[in-house]
Order: sequence, then structure tokens, then C-alpha cells
Amino acid sequence: MEDLTKEFLAESREGLERMELCLTELEQRRGDGELVSEIFRVVHTIKGATGFLGFDRLQTLAHAGEGLLAALRDRRIEVTEELISVLLELRDGLVAILEIIEVRGSEGERSDDDDRDLIAWMAELAAGRAVRTQLRQETRRAEEYRKRPVTAGCGDIDRALRVDVDVLNRMMNLVGDLVVTRNQLLQCQPGEACFAELLRRLNGVTTELRESVTQARLQPVGQVFAKFPRMVRDLSQHCGRRVRIEFEGQETALDKSLLEAIRDPLTHAVRNAVDHGIEPEAERLRAGKPAEGTVMLRAYQKNGTVVIEVIDDGAGIPIERVLNKAVERGLITAEAAAGMTEREALQLIFAPGFSTAAEVTSVSGRGVGMDVVRTNVEQAGGKVEIESHLGAGTTLRLRVPLTMAIVPALMVECGGESYALPQRSLAELVHVPAEDAEGVVEKIGAAELYRLRGGLLPLVRLERVLGRCGHADVQGEQRDLYIAVLEPEGQRFGLVVEGLAPPEEIVVKPLSGPLRGIGVYAGATVLGNGTLAMVLDASAIGALAGIQARDEQNVAAAPEERLEERSITPLPQEDSMVVCEVTRRGEDAAVRMAIPLREVERIVTVPIREVEYAGGRSLLQYGTEVLPLEDEGDLLVGLRSIKGSSATVLICAGEKRRSGLVVQRVLDVLPGEYLAQDASVCRDQLVRIDDRILAMRGGTLEQMDIPEGVR
Amino acid sequence: MREVPATIQGISKHSVASICAVTTGEGVYGIDTREVREVLGESQIRQVPLAPWFIAGVMPYRGEVLAAVSLRAVLGLEPSAERTCVLVLEDDDRGRHFGLIVDAVGGVVAVPEEGLQSNPTTLDARRSALFAGVWQTETGLLVKLEPARLRPSRLAAGGLNGSNTSMERLEARCER
Repeated sequence: MEDLTKEFLAESREGLERMELCLTELEQRRGDGELVSEIFRVVHTIKGATGFLGFDRLQTLAHAGEGLLAALRDRRIEVTEELISVLLELRDGLVAILEIIEVRGSEGERSDDDDRDLIAWMAELAAGRAVRTQLRQETRRAEEYRKRPVTAGCGDIDRALRVDVDVLNRMMNLVGDLVVTRNQLLQCQPGEACFAELLRRLNGVTTELRESVTQARLQPVGQVFAKFPRMVRDLSQHCGRRVRIEFEGQETALDKSLLEAIRDPLTHAVRNAVDHGIEPEAERLRAGKPAEGTVMLRAYQKNGTVVIEVIDDGAGIPIERVLNKAVERGLITAEAAAGMTEREALQLIFAPGFSTAAEVTSVSGRGVGMDVVRTNVEQAGGKVEIESHLGAGTTLRLRVPLTMAIVPALMVECGGESYALPQRSLAELVHVPAEDAEGVVEKIGAAELYRLRGGLLPLVRLERVLGRCGHADVQGEQRDLYIAVLEPEGQRFGLVVEGLAPPEEIVVKPLSGPLRGIGVYAGATVLGNGTLAMVLDASAIGALAGIQARDEQNVAAAPEERLEERSITPLPQEDSMVVCEVTRRGEDAAVRMAIPLREVERIVTVPIREVEYAGGRSLLQYGTEVLPLEDEGDLLVGLRSIKGSSATVLICAGEKRRSGLVVQRVLDVLPGEYLAQDASVCRDQLVRIDDRILAMRGGTLEQMDIPEGVR
Repeated sequence: MREVPATIQGISKHSVASICAVTTGEGVYGIDTREVREVLGESQIRQVPLAPWFIAGVMPYRGEVLAAVSLRAVLGLEPSAERTCVLVLEDDDRGRHFGLIVDAVGGVVAVPEEGLQSNPTTLDARRSALFAGVWQTETGLLVKLEPARLRPSRLAAGGLNGSNTSMERLEARCER
């Protein structure tokens, strides 16, 4: 195909996508002349180019559309629902012809569906006569949306990606640097002074190159959202409901491949929300809700993941029906159903074979192929959560990593092999030395428990999960006990492993079907030393061992409160606190300070030579990030004078970014009770731990990011 | 181990298939070279606990992690302690691959496409499901394998299962 035609196709496609968005918006804001001009421009451009390229059929259709749009622009006719419908029809007609051109290189003649009806319809409307034909095509399209299954694969993927030329130039420069460095390396003998320097440069260039490639792959989620207004319009007309779609955070960026991976699950979720979530108008009015239902798509970034929520204010999911259905389908026993919490029951929706389309619409209301949604999202390294309140609505939450590139993982050992445990679900690590290990594990029948800060933690032995013979089976000898406390999907348990190795940043690779089917592995990864390690799936291991999710306390909260609560988590009364010793500014003696455990991601020991300085601040390279170090008592200065010393740094998670806190030492993790803040007593938040009062680390990272002089 | 055939009887100029010959146990097997993406020497295979019986483990390959199917396991033979070779084959149409572990790779032989004879009817069910036919060569038989039949997903879904391996092994011994 000629380049010119290709370019025309790409541009027209883009224009028509914009047109679709403008049209759905125009329906909301009927007097907006800007939108009309925009739509006019799109159609006009297509018409202009077709004349030049010689696509007559396209030209005839575009010309008729232009006539109608001109009438609208000159305010000779009004925006009506029918007008929007016919213009959407026009847009689809144009897209259909473009598709034929793309496949065959010419528009061809199709006898089955002619444009004549559409052109006549448009002419009638342009003359100001309402035709009000059966919206037969729209109905058909809505049917298609409903029927189209969510495929396990990626479906039709948009293979093209727009990259800023500046970004591309930067990459090219970096590749140039890379080549130069390689050439220099080839000429340099190992051991020469320049060798180390060159390696350092190579390291720098590769890191930068990786960053810019990652950057180029990031695309706004709005790209995926763009087609939903139209879909919601068609579906709601078909279902006879009034539904408005709203967006938030469309600019949130996500890796291109992940964007494609969530496209189908999201479509499915939105379809479900309109089809089953939102009630018919009369029912809504009876329940005291506005007649028009709302489906909200919200995207935001949180702790290195992108969260996308599909929130509807519909009827919610009736738990009893879900349970009945699951029992009926033989997924669970009636006894198990009776003992299930609301949260667990909701999870059943994701069970394979929970439901099929035909039955769901009439029986349970939700859950069409939700297992496929979950599989798709999990394959992309993400997670799906569902939250529902009867009568108030349902929220489906997809959590996906920002890029699929890198996941921090803890390396654990079992049966002489290493396994990677993603830190997402890791809460803390417990090490019991061999001499203390006797008797710490209590038993009830075959179940093992460990007493952790007053609570009982069920233990799962990794070697048993993997069907390997491990240390536990060797009688007599006591060994060190390593417990990784995991909290995937509301479960909480301790995974007993034989050893721990330093954490690594890993790239998770998908596994082939039969291996994925085992259920214990989330993927595999190549480690720094070149060997392979399997990546463990914490929640699957928990489920395999029969760990049940804890009931969330706020599930029963009243629905009205829930809406306000969504973004604000109230400060809990009690929390686990990391107690450590720090030196505060202007004081010599070390004082104890508390930091909420949930803010601490990792405790690392850093050789002092790895702490770097720039712009008067101490910095630490942590994976691909550069963390500012918080060092009030200038501990680093003292450490620097001692050769080979190392600093203890708490890696703290913040709202926006991580930071490092330099402490003298970490003492313990203890439950602490928050005390009411009183500025007249002390500026810091105070906590009571073991009857002693400690100050909590002051505030959040935003405050810390402000240079010292400004504060 | 048998010698790998260098030429084949009745070779004609037209429609000659080039076949990658591999040996496993006592048998010589052939896979169309167009379907072999790469032949790797000894590869580092990482065992996977709980893996299906036909998967020996996983291996790294060009940024992918491949499942490695053991031809010995599929044929119901004892695992070999000696060094092995791995063929990289297509797993699906989306550009994924899997590894096939064989004892050794013999080389490429040219065979006439019409010379392929169908499996003997007396062949056991397991083998007739796997083998796509057989060629006669000067040095013996060359059994045709189709990569599509060896895909992990296919093996997992197929009627083959590992439970009767001892019986099969017995048969394998009798064949010698």
C-alpha cells in the first residue's frame, strides 16, 4: 500500500476516534459549538483527502455527513438524541470503509450493506425532519458488546505507539554512547585503570537507556477509556437505563503492554456495571437514588502500582445469591458457605466456572467471565479486588504494576533452590535463631502456629507446599526458623522457609500453560547470577494451605459513609511500630523513636561508601531510584570517619516516593497506641508503647522533601 | 545408540524435506528443520517442584523462560544421567517457544516427502499419538515427530499420562 494511503488511514482513524468522544460529549453539552466544529473538521478532512486519493464511496458518505454537520454548525437544526445516533452511525460507516481499504487496498463494493439508507437518513435530518427510525443498528451493536467474550489472549492489539521525537533522539544518543563505550572497552585490558571507569560509564548508560525506553512505553490510560462513552451510550439505550460515565485520572500513565492487557478486562467490567450493576430507572427512583446511574472510571498511582477502579452506584451484589450459586455449581459445600465472610463470598465471583452469561443475567446479576478478567490481569502481574455494598454499588479495582519491568522480591530458599517472593505481599520477616527455636512453634493437631506480638500466626511450610522433603522432617536437630509474614488479599500467614537471601529486583517472566496451572508460581525470573528462580504466588500458596481471608471490619459500614471514606483512611487507634534509636538535631544522646511498621518497606544495611552526596544532600541509590536520606543527627558524618563502617537505613514508603531514614539501630517491633495530638505539649505525634511514651517520626515525605532552609 | 542416517533410499529431486535428526534412548527421531528455531547444546534446566510429569523444568532463552519437555519422559523412558541437548520449538502462533530435551542431535538429513509411511497399526496408543509417521533409511527407521504434538499445553490436555510409565518402560525394554 502506498505510504500516502497508510498515513491517511492512520490520521483518519485518529480523527474518527476523537469524533466519537466529541459526539458523546455533545450529547451532554448540546449547545457546545466548539465540539460541533471539531466534528465537522474531522469529516471535512476525510472528505478532502478522499477526493485526492480517489476513494469515491468514502467521499460520498463523508460528503453527506458534512452536509448534515454544516446544518448543525449553522444552527439550522438542533442536537437531538437521534442526530447523535446518526452521526455515530456515520462514524462507524466511515471506519468500516477504512477497514476495507486497509485490508484490500481499495474500498471495493459491498452489496450487503449499502450506505444509501444512512445517506438518506442524514439528508432527512439535515432538512429538519425527524425520522426516528428504529435504532436497529445500535441495538445490534449493543448485542455485540454483550456477547463478545473476554478472550484469554490479548485480542486485537494496537501495534503502533506514538513516541515523542525528543525521547527517540535521547535514546539514539544513548545508543551512540553505548557503542562508543563498547569500542573503548574492547581496546582496554582488564586491570587497566580506565577499565573500572569504562564499566561505570557502561552502567550509567544502560541504566539511562532502560529508563528512557520505559518512559517511551508509558501511555495515558485515557487511551483505553476513550471508547467507553460510546459503549456506555449504546448499552444503556439497549438496556433501557440511564447511565452517565465519568472519568478521573485519565492522564495516569501505564506501560503500553499493560494498557493492552487491561483493555479487555476493563471493557468487561464497564459492560457488567451497565448491564447488571445499574438498576432500571423506576427501581432507582424507588430506592431514592437519582434516575441516572453513574459509572465512574478512576485511575491513580499508588506505591508504584496503578490502580484503576470501575465504580457504579447500582444495586450491588447480593451475597446470598452468590453463595447459593456457588453451592449449586459445586464450587463450595453448603457448610463452607455458611461459614464464609462477606469478603470471601465476593471472591467466589472470580472462581472459574462460577457463572456463564445466560444464567447470570437472570440469576445472580454479576460475574460473567470474571475468572477470565482475573486471569488476564494477573498475567500482567496485577490483581483484581471487588467490593460491593447492597443497594449502594460495586467497585471493581484493578491493580497493575506501573511497568512490567521490575518487581522487588525477597529471595527465599527451599530444598537447596532459590525462590523469589514478591515484596508486594510481604509484611515482615521473623528470624528465630536455632537456640531459641525450640517450642516457639505451637501445634493444634497438624496446624502449626507462631505467636507473633500477641497474635497467632498460622504457619505454612514451603517445602510441604512444594512437596519436597525439608528440614522439618529431619527429626531432632533444631535449626534457625525463618518466617516470611505474608498478607496477600487479606489473608495473613507465615511462610516458613529454610533460608533467606538478599532481596533482588526481578523481571517476572510468564510461564507456559501447564506450569501456570500448578497454581503455586506467578512466573519465573533470571537472577543476577544467571540462574533461574521460580516466583512464588503468595495468595495461591495461602489458598492452597487453606488460609482464609480475615473479615474486613469496615465491610459492614453504612453505604453513605463509604463514599466519603473511600480516599481517606482514618488513623487507627493501634498499629505496629518499629522502635529505633536516632539522634535528633542539636542533641547528643540517642533517643527512641517510633515509626509505623506499614510505612517501613525494608531495613537495609548500607556500606557507608555507597552513600553519595549531591546538592548538599545525602542520597542512596536504591534499585533504579535515588532516595534522599533523612539524617537529622548527622550520623553519616560520624560513620564516614570509620573505615568500612555501614549505616542502618529504613526504607520508608511515602505518598509519592520512597525515602531513607538513617538510624543508629533498630530495637524492636511492638504494638503502639496513638495518643491524641496536643501541640501545647509536643509538636510530634506521640505513641504509647509498653507504657512508655515515644515520639513518632514527624510527618510525611512531602514535608521532608522541602529543603531544610525553607521549613 | 544408533548411527544417524546420512542418506535415504529412494531420494528424488522434488519435494525433499530437510529433517533434523535427534536420538533419544534407542530411537532416532526427525523434526522438520523449518520447525526448529534453534538447537542449544547443554542447557541449564531448573527443576520445578509440582511440575507435570513431562516437564523436566524451565530454562532461560532470549529473555523468555521456556518450559522444557523431556522427550524421554514423553516416551516413558528413564531419565538420562548423561548430557543432553535442547531444541527450541514454537509453542503457539504468538511467538512463544518451548524446549525439547533430547539425548543428542545428529544432524540434518534430506528425505523425500512422499517417502513417509504411516505408523504401524500395532504401535501402542501413546506412540501413535506422538509419531507422525516413519521413513526408511539405510541405517534404520527415522520416526517423524511433529512439534505441535509435543507442546506442553497439548501434552497436558492429551490422553497421555504418566501413571502407567512403568508398564511403558517395560515395553520399551522389550523393544530392544
